[in-house]
Amino acid sequence: MTPDPVTTPDTTPIPEDGILLSFPKGLLGFEKLKTYRLLEPRDGYPLKFLQSVDAEEVSFTCIDPVVVKRDYEVPLGQEEAQALGLESQADALVLTLVVIPEDPKRMTTNLAGPLVVNVKTRVGFQIVLNTDTYPVRFPIFPQT
Amino acid sequence: MLVITRKPEQSIVIGGEVEVFVLGITKDGVRLGIKAPRSVQVHRREVFEAIAAENLAAMKTKVPVQDAAALLRTSQVRKPDGR
Repeated sequence: MTPDPVTTPDTTPIPEDGILLSFPKGLLGFEKLKTYRLLEPRDGYPLKFLQSVDAEEVSFTCIDPVVVKRDYEVPLGQEEAQALGLESQADALVLTLVVIPEDPKRMTTNLAGPLVVNVKTRVGFQIVLNTDTYPVRFPIFPQT
Repeated sequence: MLVITRKPEQSIVIGGEVEVFVLGITKDGVRLGIKAPRSVQVHRREVFEAIAAENLAAMKTKVPVQDAAALLRTSQVRKPDGR
């Protein structure tokens, strides 16, 4: 299977103890927390947890956005591409954070603040995109 | 903080490569034009605040994640590797 040019579908299963990732700038609002473990909760596929190593109460639900929006692409700026040191698009793992409300049919994912990780170096950044084009609360299920 | 008075059509230069122009002033606000190299990101502060708020919301799962995941697996959303 050829990887999508911008978002790589997660065909490689995540090991049980997770993958250690470093976010040198943290996530917006969580700038001090820089080390996370990416885990797949039991029976949780396709959802994942990004669990802070330094603060156990901090764990974000996330997903490979290709699962919810086939044509999702992250336009990387020069500065971001350089910071990530991506040699090939295939080395990029893209995740978006998921908000699960009481009615899970109203789940949303944030397409304006994707996490882009270089899978070779395991270093990632939260990218900030234009909210006019990339909704902050993209409904995962069609809303009626 | 540096405070400068500028009139419409005047500008300030930041770091030699970013220029902020005052395009016009109305009762609703000041219209700014920003000329910057592509490598410099320009966003309204609200964008950062909105993403930070969603990050916080993504920490609080209101139902067990397995229930939400099951819903995703059985729904019409795309399954990239057929799991």
